[in-house]
Amino acid sequence: MTTMETTATASIAARMDNGAKIYGEGDTEVRALDGVTAQFESGVFTAIMGPSGSGKSTLLHTLAGLDVLSDGQVHIGDIELGSLKDKDLTLLRREKVGFVFQAYNLIPTLSARENVLLPLLIAGEDHDEEWFNQVVGILGLGDRLTHRPSELSGGQQQRVAAARALVSRPEIIFADEPSGNLDSKSAAELLDFMRRAVKEFGQTIVMVTHDPVSASYADRVIFLEDGKIVDELLDPTPGTVLDRMRQLGA
Amino acid sequence: MIRTALKTVFAHKLRLALTALSVMIGVAFIAGTFIFTDTIDNTFNQLFEDVYEGQDVIVQAETEFDVGFSGPPPIDESVVDVVRGVPGVELAEGNVGSFAVIYDKDGEAIVPTGPPTIGASLTEDSRLNGNAQLRDGRLPEASGEVAVDARTAQDNDLQVGDVVQVQTPTDVGDFEIVSIIGFGESDNLAGATFAGFEFETAQRLFDLEGQVSSITVIAEEGTSPDLLRNAIASALPDGIEAVTAADEAADQSEALSDQLGFLQTALLVFALVAVFVASFIIQNTFRIIVRQRQKELALMRAVGATGSQVVWMVVIEALVVGVVASVVGIAFGFVIAQGLTGVMSTIGFDLPASSAPLAPRTIIVGLTVGIVVTVMAAVLPAVRASKIPPVAALQDVDVSLRMSDRRRNIIGGGVLAIGVGLIVAGLFGDVLDLGPLNELSAVGIGAIFVFLAVSVLSSTIVKPFARVLGWPMPKIDNLTGTLAVENSVRKPRRTATTASALMIGLALVAFFFVLGDSIKASAGAAIEEGLRADYVINVDGFGGGFGQGLGEELRDAPEVEAVTPLRFGFWDHDGTDDFVMGIDTTTIDQTIFLGVTQGSLEALGDGGVFVLEDIVDQEGWVLGDTIPMGFSATGLQDVEIVGVFTEANVVQSNYLVGLDFYDENFEGFGTDLDFVLAVAAADGVTEDASRAVVESAAADYPNVNVRDQAEYRQSQEDQVDQLLVMFNALLFLAVIIAMFGITNTLALSVFERTREIGLLRAVGMSRRQIRRMIRWEAVIVAIIGAILGIIVGLFFGVIVTAALASQGIDVLSIPSIQILGLVIFGAIAGLLAAILPARRAAKLNILEAIAYE
Repeated sequence: MTTMETTATASIAARMDNGAKIYGEGDTEVRALDGVTAQFESGVFTAIMGPSGSGKSTLLHTLAGLDVLSDGQVHIGDIELGSLKDKDLTLLRREKVGFVFQAYNLIPTLSARENVLLPLLIAGEDHDEEWFNQVVGILGLGDRLTHRPSELSGGQQQRVAAARALVSRPEIIFADEPSGNLDSKSAAELLDFMRRAVKEFGQTIVMVTHDPVSASYADRVIFLEDGKIVDELLDPTPGTVLDRMRQLGA
Repeated sequence: MIRTALKTVFAHKLRLALTALSVMIGVAFIAGTFIFTDTIDNTFNQLFEDVYEGQDVIVQAETEFDVGFSGPPPIDESVVDVVRGVPGVELAEGNVGSFAVIYDKDGEAIVPTGPPTIGASLTEDSRLNGNAQLRDGRLPEASGEVAVDARTAQDNDLQVGDVVQVQTPTDVGDFEIVSIIGFGESDNLAGATFAGFEFETAQRLFDLEGQVSSITVIAEEGTSPDLLRNAIASALPDGIEAVTAADEAADQSEALSDQLGFLQTALLVFALVAVFVASFIIQNTFRIIVRQRQKELALMRAVGATGSQVVWMVVIEALVVGVVASVVGIAFGFVIAQGLTGVMSTIGFDLPASSAPLAPRTIIVGLTVGIVVTVMAAVLPAVRASKIPPVAALQDVDVSLRMSDRRRNIIGGGVLAIGVGLIVAGLFGDVLDLGPLNELSAVGIGAIFVFLAVSVLSSTIVKPFARVLGWPMPKIDNLTGTLAVENSVRKPRRTATTASALMIGLALVAFFFVLGDSIKASAGAAIEEGLRADYVINVDGFGGGFGQGLGEELRDAPEVEAVTPLRFGFWDHDGTDDFVMGIDTTTIDQTIFLGVTQGSLEALGDGGVFVLEDIVDQEGWVLGDTIPMGFSATGLQDVEIVGVFTEANVVQSNYLVGLDFYDENFEGFGTDLDFVLAVAAADGVTEDASRAVVESAAADYPNVNVRDQAEYRQSQEDQVDQLLVMFNALLFLAVIIAMFGITNTLALSVFERTREIGLLRAVGMSRRQIRRMIRWEAVIVAIIGAILGIIVGLFFGVIVTAALASQGIDVLSIPSIQILGLVIFGAIAGLLAAILPARRAAKLNILEAIAYE
C-alpha cells in the first residue's frame, strides 16, 4: 500500500500521507496519529477499527477536514487540506464531504426532508428531486419526511442522517460509529443501506467502528493502534475481524 | 453548599457579567438620580451659605406665604436707620436687587437658559457683599459703571474698561465695566449672570427709589446673631421681619430644593422602570441557568441534598450577582449623574459643576433594590429547580414543570384585568374607593400589572407571532431565516420574557409619542381657535417676564388694535402652590377667546376671580361662591367667583383675575413684569407693517420673542418635543438593559445548542451563515418586543389622553410614522444585541461542539 505513492488519480477519493497529530508537549505529549499513510479508493467502503485511544476518531476527523494535522498531508480528491482556510474548508465539507455521526445528527427544528436537504439548503442550491426520491425511497423514509426528528425513532433518525450525507453526492462520506446508538435490527438496516450506496451508486464511505459485525459490512478494514496502522483486512466477515482483533492482542 | 454555589458563579464569568450588567444599570440609574439631586442640593446650600457669608441678620418684608420664586417686596429706606440704631449693630446697609441683562459686544443679550440675570447693588464694605469679591478693577462708584461676573466676562471677552449695554427694569443704557466679580471660588452664582451697580444707581435703575429690597446687618464683636435678631425685630415696624443670615440661607436653599423635588421623583420613576426591566432579564437568566443545570442539581438531590438546599444554592448565586452588580452600579451612578447634568443642560437647564456627594441613603437604597430585585427574580426558578424529581432529571427526561397554557392564560388574563382596572380607576377616579392609594400610584401599579400580564400571555402568542413575522425570512435568506424563526419559538416562554423586557421601554416611548402628539395637536387646535391676537410676545424658559414698557409702547402704536398683558403669580391653594393669571379684561376679547359661560369680563375688572369650568365642576363651586386664596403680599383672601370660562389653553391658567386685583395682591412680587403680551393688529394694516412695529418695539427687550400664530404654535410644539427628547433619552436606558437581555438569552441559547451549531458547521454552514442565523433570531425577538410595546403603549396613550380631555388635551393624535419607526429601532437593537452571541456561535470549535454533552 505504501508503495502506491503516485499523484492523486480520479480513483482515489481521499488519502493521508505520513499524517501525525500531536497533542501537548514534552512529557505530556500524546501522538494521536503517528505517521499514518492511507488511501481511500472511490467506490470502496472502508472501516477503521481499533481500541479506544488508538486514534481512529482523530484519523476520521483529520481526513474530513474537521481537524488539522500537526504534520503530513491530507487530500480530498485533488485538494490538499492543509493549505485551506476555514472558509474553503467549510465549502469543501459542504460540497465534497458527507457526515454521519453517532448521535444528534439532525437539527431538531427542521423537518426530516429539510434535514436531508440541509447541505444543499446551506449552499442555497437546488436539489435533484429524482435523486432525492431515490435516496429516501431506499431508506424507507417516504412517509416520514414532514416529521420533526423528535417524532422519529433512533433508526429513522440515523437513516435521515445517511440520506443527508448522500443527497449532495459527495466524493466521500465519513461515518463515526453510525450504528453505535441503535438496536441491532436498525443497525443492520442502516449498514445494509450504506453498503448498497457503495455498490449501487459507487459512493465512497469511511466508517469508524469498534463493532466487528458493523465492520464486516465494509469492503476493507484498517486496524489502528497507538496512532499507527497496524493491519488491514479485505472482504471481512465478523469472524475474521474478531480473529484479527484478538491477534492484535487487545 | 455555599462554596458550591460560589464556584458555579465564578465558573461562568460571562453569564455573571451579563446578568450583573442589567441589574447594574438599574442600580446605577437610581444611585445616579440621588447623586445628581444631592449635587444640586449641595450646590444651592453652598450657594446660599456663600451669599450670606460674613453676615449676621437680614431685615426684609414679611411675607404671608412663601410661594413663587420672586423675593419679598421692597421696604422703605428709612428702616435702615432704624436698624442702625439698635445696640449691637456694627453695620447695616440696604441693598436692592432686580434683573439686569448684559449685552455682548455684538449687541446680543447674554441670557442663560434657566438661571436668572441678576442685577444688584454692591456696597463698599466687602462683608456686606457676601462672597462677591473683586477679581479685577474697583467697585462701581458712579451711575455709568457696572461690575460683571467673571464667567460672563470670560465667555464674552469683556474686560475692565469695556463699555457694554445693560438692560434694567427701567432702561437700556451704556455702562463702563469697572470690575470683574468672582464669588469665592466660583466665577458666577450657579449659572446666573450678574451686574452690580452703585447703590443709588441701582435704586434708580430698578425703579426702587427710596426703597431697599433688604437690609444686611453685621453684629458687633461679641454679639450673637440670634440675640441681635431679637433686638432688631422688636425695633421694626409691622410687616417687616428680621432673620439670621444662617436661617435665611437655609430657607432659600430649602425652597429651591423643594421646587426641584419633582425632578428627583421623575428621575426615580425612570430608574424604577429600568430596574423593572432588569428584573425580567434576571428571571430569564436564572430560568435558563437552572434548566441547563437540571442534571447537576438532580445529581445533588440524588446524593442527598434537600430541595431547600437546591433553592439556597440558586439564591446564593443570585445574592452574589446582586451584591456585585449593586456595588458596581452605585459606582457607575456618578457617571449617570454626569449624564443627567448633560441631559438637563441640553434642555436648557444649566447646572453648575460641583462635587458629587455619595450619601448613605444612596448606598442603602441602591444595595437594597439591586439585591432584593435580583434575589426575588431568582427565587421562582430556584423553587422550580428544587421540584425536579432527581431520577427523571438524571435519565435525561425532558421534565416540564411549566404551567399549562390554559392556566397561564387564565392567570395572565386576570392580572391584565386587574391592571387595566387600576389604570381606569386611577385615571377616571370615583370608580373605586382606592383607599390609601392615590390616583397616580394606582396608574403606576396598574401599568406594572399590565406589563406582567402581557409578558405572561405573550408566551402563548409568541409562536404564531414569530411565524408570521418570520414568514418573509426564508424568502430573503433561505435556511438561516428558517432556522432563526424556528429557534425563536423553541422556548416560547424564554422568547416572551426577553421580548417583554424590550416591550416595557418601547411601550413607554410609544406612550409618550401618543401623549406628546396629542398635547401638540390639542394645543395647536386651541391656539387656532382661541388665539385671536396676531402676535404673542413672551420669554422662553422658566417663567421669565419683561418690563411693562413694551406693552405700553405697543398700546400707543396706531398699527396695533389691542394689547393684552398676562401677568403670572403663585397663590396658596389649601397649602399647595397654584397659579393665577392677571389679564387685561378690557382687551382680552380682542386677543384671546376664553369661552366665558357665566359672568362677565366687566365684573372681573372690578375684582373677583374667573375659574375654569372643569375646576368649578370638580370642586363643586358655583358662581357667587367665595374661595380662600392665599397671596404673598396680602395673605388669605376670600375671593368671589365672578365668572366661569372653558378655554384655558392659551391663557394657560385655570384662574384668571383682573389687573387691578393682581397688582393689589402681588404688590412687590413681580407685579412690575408682564409675562405674555397678546397683540392684535389694527384692521387694514399689512402683516409686514404690523410685524415691523411689534418687532422694533420688542428689540429693546432682549429676552423676549415675537411670534405670529403659526410661530407661536410651533414654539409650543417645540417645547413638547424637548420634553419628549428628554423622556426618551431616559427611557433609552431601559431599552439598553433589554438589549443586554437579548444578548444574554441568545448567549445562553447558543450555549445550549452547541452541538447543533457544531453539526451545522460540519455539514458546511459557514461562520457567516451561523452569525446571520443568530442575528435573524435576535431581530425576530426584538420585533415581537417592539410590536407588543407599541400595542401596550398605544393603549396607555389613548386611555391617558382620554383621561386628560378635561385638562385641555382633547385631541387624540397618533404619530404613526414615529411609532412604526420603533419597529425599525427594535430591529436595530436586536441586531446590535446579537453581535456578541453571533460571534461566539461562529467561533465554536466544530469538533468540541459535536462532542459537547
